[in-house]
Amino acid sequence: MSIRKHTSATLLCASLLSIMAGAACNGAAAQTLKAVKDRGELICGVSHGLPGFAAPDSSGAWSGIDVDYCRAVAAAVFHDPEKVRFMPLGVEERFDVLKSGKIDVLAHNSTWTMSRETDFGLTFVGVNYYDGQGFLVHRSPEIASALELDGAKVCVQKGTTTIDNLEDYFKSNNLKYEAIGESSQDDARKDYEAGKCNVLTSDVSQLYALRLQMVNPRDHVILPDVISKEPLGLAVRQDDTQWAEIVKWVDFALINAEELGISSKNVDEAMKSTKPAVRRLMGLDGDFGPKMGLSSDWAANAIRAVGNYGEIYERDVGSKSKLGIPRGLNELWNLGGIQYAPPIR
Amino acid sequence: MRRIKIFGLAALGICLAALAAPNMSAATTPTVIAAPSGADEMKVDDQPGYVPSAESEQLDPQYQRQMVFYRTTEPPGTIIVQTSEKYLYLVQGGNRALRYGIGVGRDGFQWKGLVKIARKQEWPDWRPPPEMIERQPYLPRFMAGGPGNPLGARAMYLGATVYRIHGTNQPDTIGSKVSSGCFRLINPDVIDLYDRVPVGTRVIVHQAPSVEG
Repeated sequence: MSIRKHTSATLLCASLLSIMAGAACNGAAAQTLKAVKDRGELICGVSHGLPGFAAPDSSGAWSGIDVDYCRAVAAAVFHDPEKVRFMPLGVEERFDVLKSGKIDVLAHNSTWTMSRETDFGLTFVGVNYYDGQGFLVHRSPEIASALELDGAKVCVQKGTTTIDNLEDYFKSNNLKYEAIGESSQDDARKDYEAGKCNVLTSDVSQLYALRLQMVNPRDHVILPDVISKEPLGLAVRQDDTQWAEIVKWVDFALINAEELGISSKNVDEAMKSTKPAVRRLMGLDGDFGPKMGLSSDWAANAIRAVGNYGEIYERDVGSKSKLGIPRGLNELWNLGGIQYAPPIR
Repeated sequence: MRRIKIFGLAALGICLAALAAPNMSAATTPTVIAAPSGADEMKVDDQPGYVPSAESEQLDPQYQRQMVFYRTTEPPGTIIVQTSEKYLYLVQGGNRALRYGIGVGRDGFQWKGLVKIARKQEWPDWRPPPEMIERQPYLPRFMAGGPGNPLGARAMYLGATVYRIHGTNQPDTIGSKVSSGCFRLINPDVIDLYDRVPVGTRVIVHQAPSVEG
């Protein structure tokens, strides 16, 4: 889901330009790795608190997919996943803050779109969670597909792309529906629970979170259909390709590790492997790490710290978390999903 | 997670049949794999005669039968077993599959390959093989099919192998590595699957990749 609001980033930048002769708008050019190392910690922009993605507990300890990705980058750079500071950011400010250079990486459940790259001078390096709009319905053996929702009353949040997607999907599939709009997700959920509609629609990750708040979560199911593209990923500034490479290949390393069977539990075993693909990822063959300005065991350190992609997923949003979201789209490409990383070679 | 009673004896699974090392026919060519040891391994004896309650067959949410997104080039009707995930998928087409939680083979008893369902049996009888009798002399030599039978409500025999997809009277073993290479489902699930798949159904068994070698 995207909020239909134009941020004033360009304007803001232009006015700053006139005052500060450009310094504030160029951010940290091409020296991020050095700056991070000199500082002794990575600064990651994250959500104020979105369970499963980035949320602090009562003692201030952060957890979530985005948080784990930040720790993985810290581990790749410093051999220490704790050398990261989390800076909670609002939805409206997050891209400007990244552009300004106050953070090194933005890991803020942000949808990768073209305008976010071109308008803010950013680069998304990968997708750590494929989200998309889905449907929640009352558990029933009859409904197994969104195509069976003809004539449904659908609760939805107004003023978002969600309601447009809803219309597109039902129209293109020749299905009738009635939308019951509310100004917030929570009100849409309340309408659904009060019986004003029989379907609730939002991004799938949101539906699982909303279901947790329902009186009896098990009475409701989220259909496997995903009708829109909301690829959530990590962003960095466009002007530092070395840093972009580092964050990108940490992401790819976590996904490749799962595909190769390397986990936080068998990193030491993998360090003795004779399999070429495992040896390259572990830094035993080739000089992939040094060419990015890191040590050769950069990926091994990241995997040891937070686990491979599958471990991260299950721990933060999957079966080992409260959300319990099935892997779905986020399953590896060769196991039924679309998570796919280019090879390290 | 709920656990059932753990017995002192190291148990053999219920489908080892008469073979110490499973021997595959060339026609089906599944490969037996020596997998690394895992924490989810369960040493548990069979409990002939134990009849599970309906409540005990209420699985953890991730192992409950459910429709999931599943992208594959395999045609609808194919069964795909992801041993490492402890899931069995029945491909539905349209990027979806019906997913069942299963119990799988212990390390050393895992295999992969393509086989077909050769035979189907309701409430199969149980004949523990001599190796099991030797280790667990108290086991019955024969147990007629029915509630309380370790093979559960249905069995689907896989090709010419000793392996089967079958039910279980031990619902708590779903999600674990417990068998000697068979795939077990709770009885309501194995009945559901049995009614959906004919003899001749293709069964593809996948394993997690190993870093060894």
